[in-house]
Amino acid sequence: MKATERLGKVIDNIEKVIIGKREIAELSLVALLSHGHVLLEDVPGVGKTMLVRALAKSVGADFKRIQFTPDLLPSDVVGVSIYSPKDMQFHFRPGPIMGNIVLADEINRTSPKTQSALLEAMEEASVTTDGVTMQIPKPFFVMATQNPIEYEGTYPLPEAQLDRFLLRVKMGYPTREEEIEVLTRSQSIPPIEELESVLTLEELLELQDAVRTIRVDDTIRAYIVELATHTRRDPYVYLGVSPRGSIALMKAAQAYAMLKGRNYVTPDDIQYLAKPVFGHRIMLRSEARYDGITAEELTERIIAKTRVPVQRLVNQ
Amino acid sequence: MTSIRKNKVFMGLLYILVFLLLSEWLRPVIELTETGHHRLFLAFVAIGLIMAFFDIPWWVTAPVKVIYILWFIVYVYTGNLFFTAESLAFVMEQASISLSALFSQDWQATTDAFRTVLFFALLWMAIYLIHYWVSFRLSIFLFYLLTVVFIAVLDTFSPYSGDAAIVRIMVIGLLLAGLLHLARWMEHHAATAKTDKLLVFSIPLLMLLVASTAFAFYLPKAEPIWPDPVPYITSYSGQGGVGQGGVGRIGYGVDDSQLGGSFVSDDTTVFRAEVEEGQYWKVEVKDVYTTKGWELSDEDAQEQFYRNGDEVVTDFPPQGEDRTSALVDMQLPFPFVLYPYGTASFLMEETLDYRYDPVQQRFDTLQENTAFEPDVYEVFYSEPSFSLTALRETDVEQLDGLPTEYDRYLQLPDELPDRVGELAQEIAAGSDTVYAQAQAIERYFGTNGFEYSQSDIAIPEGDEDYVDQFLFETQRGYCDNFSTSMVVMLRSLDIPARWVKGFNEGEVIDTVDGYDVYEVTNNNAHSWVEAYMPGVGWMMFEPTIGFTGSSSIDFDLEIDASDPEEEMPDRPEPEPETQPEQTDSNAATNAEPTTGERFLAFVAEQAGKLIAATIALLLLALLLFSIRKKWMPKVLIPYYRRKQADAETFEKAYLRLLKQLELYGIKRAPGQTLRSYAEYVDSFFGTKEMTELTAAYEKSIYGGDPHSVDWPKLKESWENLINRTSG
Repeated sequence: MKATERLGKVIDNIEKVIIGKREIAELSLVALLSHGHVLLEDVPGVGKTMLVRALAKSVGADFKRIQFTPDLLPSDVVGVSIYSPKDMQFHFRPGPIMGNIVLADEINRTSPKTQSALLEAMEEASVTTDGVTMQIPKPFFVMATQNPIEYEGTYPLPEAQLDRFLLRVKMGYPTREEEIEVLTRSQSIPPIEELESVLTLEELLELQDAVRTIRVDDTIRAYIVELATHTRRDPYVYLGVSPRGSIALMKAAQAYAMLKGRNYVTPDDIQYLAKPVFGHRIMLRSEARYDGITAEELTERIIAKTRVPVQRLVNQ
Repeated sequence: MTSIRKNKVFMGLLYILVFLLLSEWLRPVIELTETGHHRLFLAFVAIGLIMAFFDIPWWVTAPVKVIYILWFIVYVYTGNLFFTAESLAFVMEQASISLSALFSQDWQATTDAFRTVLFFALLWMAIYLIHYWVSFRLSIFLFYLLTVVFIAVLDTFSPYSGDAAIVRIMVIGLLLAGLLHLARWMEHHAATAKTDKLLVFSIPLLMLLVASTAFAFYLPKAEPIWPDPVPYITSYSGQGGVGQGGVGRIGYGVDDSQLGGSFVSDDTTVFRAEVEEGQYWKVEVKDVYTTKGWELSDEDAQEQFYRNGDEVVTDFPPQGEDRTSALVDMQLPFPFVLYPYGTASFLMEETLDYRYDPVQQRFDTLQENTAFEPDVYEVFYSEPSFSLTALRETDVEQLDGLPTEYDRYLQLPDELPDRVGELAQEIAAGSDTVYAQAQAIERYFGTNGFEYSQSDIAIPEGDEDYVDQFLFETQRGYCDNFSTSMVVMLRSLDIPARWVKGFNEGEVIDTVDGYDVYEVTNNNAHSWVEAYMPGVGWMMFEPTIGFTGSSSIDFDLEIDASDPEEEMPDRPEPEPETQPEQTDSNAATNAEPTTGERFLAFVAEQAGKLIAATIALLLLALLLFSIRKKWMPKVLIPYYRRKQADAETFEKAYLRLLKQLELYGIKRAPGQTLRSYAEYVDSFFGTKEMTELTAAYEKSIYGGDPHSVDWPKLKESWENLINRTSG
């Protein structure tokens, strides 16, 4: 079975549970395939948790959930060593981070210390406690949610930490028809319970490896850099996209190309992914806020004015 | 990758060129202001540029320059080669005088030394600016343009001659601009700036420069069509000089000692005349030919004074008793009256004297012995006519017995080249009467490749003779050339002749009571010939081609003894400019022309046709270009059918299709991807082909898989789409 068909099945599977959010499902899968993590930003009750659970079930992964609260400690996330009187030794009890797919709910509610513990684990794919480094099992995928409405008692993530997320995705409300469908389905047994895995973890790891082989032409690379450079030069922007952001865009585009059944990246992939990849990486000046411009809109503008490469690069 | 700015050899070359260009600025400034010490100023520029070239920090360069300036002041104003106590005292003194003058705003009191310092400061600034242009901007065009303008202005308005300077500037400037363009190009393309690579790139530039300079150098250069502005401005009063050297403004002038040069037309009205028939208006004659122009002999002659209504005596007595009157309304102030042939008397409201000098043959108007400028006057005249029978009897032998008073009309300069006389003999050969000889010379110009023109007219220089130059070299000129040449040739045949100045009849602008009103402007200023026919008297001749104002008599007319007279003058044609172009301008050239000259002559002759053809071709090209979307597909389809069926062809064809679609009006925004554009195109045409082609193209370009392209299969889709664009 081809990669694209297998991935298509995963998406279909998720769609059984989450209605009308195929794009979000695709983007989550893109992040999963390119070893990235997703920051879901939306109001409660639009199906963020359901999405992650459905994804975890579809790929047969171990699903863990951490509800972030102000009093959560780093050890509550990564785990703690407990003294065992029986053999008179400390035994490490892994925390909820040691899972394949982790839902970090309301990440901005906890203290920065705990946040950084999570983010470090995300970046390194390992945790270190009491001098012992432990690998987190592969695949490892964190989907953190953040409620953009509440500011009271929250600790907004610093910009540098936002950079650790490959994509920032906004769920948005379902359409009228979709919501009716949601109501209809929720009358019967929750469909999530019936969801079966369509992809094994081994297959997922294989696909993760295969993503790296997706071809990125020189023109595309130049195009990515061009876009990133433009974000750094824009008068509305206080801090533009870092080279890490450019790398993230390329990796995400590779995964997306694979999802779409291609073995090469096209400018369309880049344009499509630029918004979720760049959105949380651009820090706007206050002027932009006064003019009502969001980072996504700015990215769109930059895309519109940046010349798409349509010709082979001529070697000098 | 080495930046071009790091290449010392290349940048050094640029700085040398900049130095040369700057020295072109310095040269005229120093020459015109009589500053002197040219080399020392140049040395300052050189030092400044060298230090800029080696990127020496400002805290070194500034003291060096200041010390140089101080040394210059000391050396030039005190003569000391080194800083001595005395010279330093001088500097201090100068500084204190100038500064106190500055503070008291007494600008005049600043010393020369201080002004020199200011000049140095200016140079310093110029060096800095140019250094900035060359090193940072890699662009010199503005400075180059300014240099050209500067030299052109100086050449025009000052005694400085920029003839050679402008050539040097063009060469240096073009080279500099070309090299800088190359530098910018290389930087833009991030090309490695190795010296050998630069050399390779510079060779076409050098070749182009050498070729264009050589071409420009050897091409014949037209006289400036633009009038030399200085005489132009001074002649604005409207009494500009016929016969002044350089480019003049047409009109009546007094000084004819230096003839030649081009003219610009001038529509200033000189006078209006109500007459029965248009005729020439004579002002005066000149009798001494100087090889460059005409002067008046200092022959003593009894001046005649006439009053209003007195019968005047001229060399052209009025015919019969009937008088025609002409009313002349002067628009420009002239202290004399203009008179037609056969003038009998003048009438004016004012009481005044008409002073007639038989040598100059001008009627000066005087009121109480001071020059008076008449406004309106009436002149009574009757055109003289000449007996053809008498003219036919003007034997050449009769010339020998002429009284000595005619000798001054035979004057010729000793330097006159012999070939002028030889040509006159040749023309006159076969004519046995004086009249026939004069006529032969008068007609000579019309049939021997002479060209009437007011522009691009040579001025005799050095020991060149005005007539000789016109007859044998240029064969191009206006009335002065033709009339002077005829007078000189007549004199060489011992026929008394003189040079007449005046105006031709002008243009009819109105009709009042059966009289035509002629308007005579400065453009109508004219010169012609009067020659003495033994036994008949003085007669006027009109050698200038395009003018028919002479007493030309048609020999075909069989004239009876009962009808022995012929009228003169004929009504001349109004406009010299309307005469047919002389095309065989090379006919009388003596030397055998080389191939190059022949080619150039051919180009010159066919210039009109060539220009017309070029314009037609350009228009055609423009038309074809503007409708290219119509015919391009018809060319493109067979072209791409014949080409090799590979991915490269496909990519080219696809890009061509994009261009065609753009021409068709489906524009692709710069940020629009090919796929979304293809979808739009397909939705526009209701096709699927564009998406299909685009997918293949994307795979070839972004997928790096050109072998996947099946061009023969895609060709049909491509042809289908490209055909749609021609609709």
